[in-house]
Amino acid sequence: MIVLDAVSKWYPTGDRPALADVSAEIGTGEFVFLVGPSGSGKSTLLRLLLREERASAGQVLVAGRDVARIPDRRVPRLRRAVGCVFQDFRLLPNRTVAANVAFALDVVGRPRHVVRSVVPEALELVGLREAAQRYPDELSGGEQQRVAIARAFVGRPRVLLADEPTGNLDPATSLEIMKLLDTIHRAGTTVLMATHNASLVDAMRRRVLELGDGVLIRDEADGRYDQTVPQPIAVPAQSAGDGGVDSGVDSGIGIGGIGGIGIGIGGIGGVGGGVSSPWAPPVRGAVG
Amino acid sequence: MRPAPLASLLWTGLRRNLAMTAAVIVTVTICLAMLGAGLLLRAQVHTVDDYLLGQLEVVVDLTDEITPAQRTALETEMHRDPAIVGVRYESGRQVYDRFRRDFHDSPDVVAGVRPGDLPAALRLTLADPRASGDIVVTYTGQDGVEAVRDQRALLDPLYRFLDAFTIGAFALAAVQALASFALIYTMIRISAHGRRRETAVMKLVGASNGTIRAPFMLESAIAGLVGGLLAGGLLVAAKVFLVDGQFARQSTFPLFGWSAVWESGAVVVAVGILAAAAMASLALHRHLRV
Repeated sequence: MIVLDAVSKWYPTGDRPALADVSAEIGTGEFVFLVGPSGSGKSTLLRLLLREERASAGQVLVAGRDVARIPDRRVPRLRRAVGCVFQDFRLLPNRTVAANVAFALDVVGRPRHVVRSVVPEALELVGLREAAQRYPDELSGGEQQRVAIARAFVGRPRVLLADEPTGNLDPATSLEIMKLLDTIHRAGTTVLMATHNASLVDAMRRRVLELGDGVLIRDEADGRYDQTVPQPIAVPAQSAGDGGVDSGVDSGIGIGGIGGIGIGIGGIGGVGGGVSSPWAPPVRGAVG
Repeated sequence: MRPAPLASLLWTGLRRNLAMTAAVIVTVTICLAMLGAGLLLRAQVHTVDDYLLGQLEVVVDLTDEITPAQRTALETEMHRDPAIVGVRYESGRQVYDRFRRDFHDSPDVVAGVRPGDLPAALRLTLADPRASGDIVVTYTGQDGVEAVRDQRALLDPLYRFLDAFTIGAFALAAVQALASFALIYTMIRISAHGRRRETAVMKLVGASNGTIRAPFMLESAIAGLVGGLLAGGLLVAAKVFLVDGQFARQSTFPLFGWSAVWESGAVVVAVGILAAAAMASLALHRHLRV
């Protein structure tokens, strides 16, 4: 569903790339956590997926389409296929809960009868049917986030991007939001969730992509927030070659066990015969 | 987007920007009223033209030495000319009698001219009096022709006077158009800022550029429409109270009719809507990245 192939992103004023040679593949129906410290490139990655930014190098594919090559007039169609949830909810304060959710359908021209039937379903899904006529400022943070999720999901996107959706919520409420995202995922939606919430990641044990200074430093199935085993990342060779596909990076930097940071030496990349790390398992989802 | 949600966005925007929208409407009204005034002055020029052209002739003054053969040849050529629909000969005496009639209020002028002072003439009625320039060029300098006078030239001072007012009205309209653009630009900037949360959400959920821009464009177009209607109202008021109420009693020329008012009003309303929307579009390119 999502393919990142040697993606780099430089901002004009930045002194280092926001993303550097990031490669990963997220399959249809996967649930993936995107972790890493602030400034590590998580939000940039999400912006690339939404075509709010274009990659400086490499390819970003969403549902098989090269996002950077989508004509401007077709970008809205991409965004209809990719729902978004943010830490600050981004609800419209002068609209009711139902109107906020309906807004997402109204502005893409969905017929009135569709809006009338789908919005209550979305509110039912997030458990807010009774609050349909209330305004966002009458709701708790968790409820507001649930409205935001309903709005993101009401158009039945194939991918749901969540950028720190629990960042403003207490642990119990965060867990509720997490369960909701899990429900949406189980309905077949691919979910990519950027988060700092270690306990949620640890509890869910889903695939984890970790960014550090713009570099993908971990891609671990059933991972935890902090890496338990040093694990280098495989990236595709930059040039054609039959042996570069499974080779490691020149130097893979991985966060070590809980509470510690370790540096792992990855395989040696190169044309015709990269060597995988002898102590790290093949990385799931690495792009070949 | 369906009309109802679009109308909702539009109403919210207009309500939020009420003061700025009112300022835009006032400026656009003045701008369009000036444009309408210019159009009505042009209509007045045409009205005067149409009224007088039927009475205007090109006069070919003949030399005293013209021979009958030369005069016959000249008249024959004129009768063959498709631009000329009538040729009438006036002897020197007839020209003098006409002169005395026309200037009977100025006896001093009449006293200074004797019957032999005025040449005989051929008076030409043209198929298109506005094309008199070609006739003047064709017959000037021919044998037996002393001078060719286009009576339409006598109206030049009147036309210059009306043209000056027309240009003045259009110039004022242009200045007001600049002011309108500045205001619409500011209105869009403020509106885009006020709606940044809405537009951000619209972008995220996949609204098209046209949908995101539509409320802004419509807001501006509505200001243009209201300004156009108010300007049209001013033109109607000018027709009723100034043209028909004041000038009609004093003018020796016919004045423009209601059709000119309706035509100018329609132009003013259309220009108001389209120009305001176009100005908004320009401003949106700067202030709304979609």
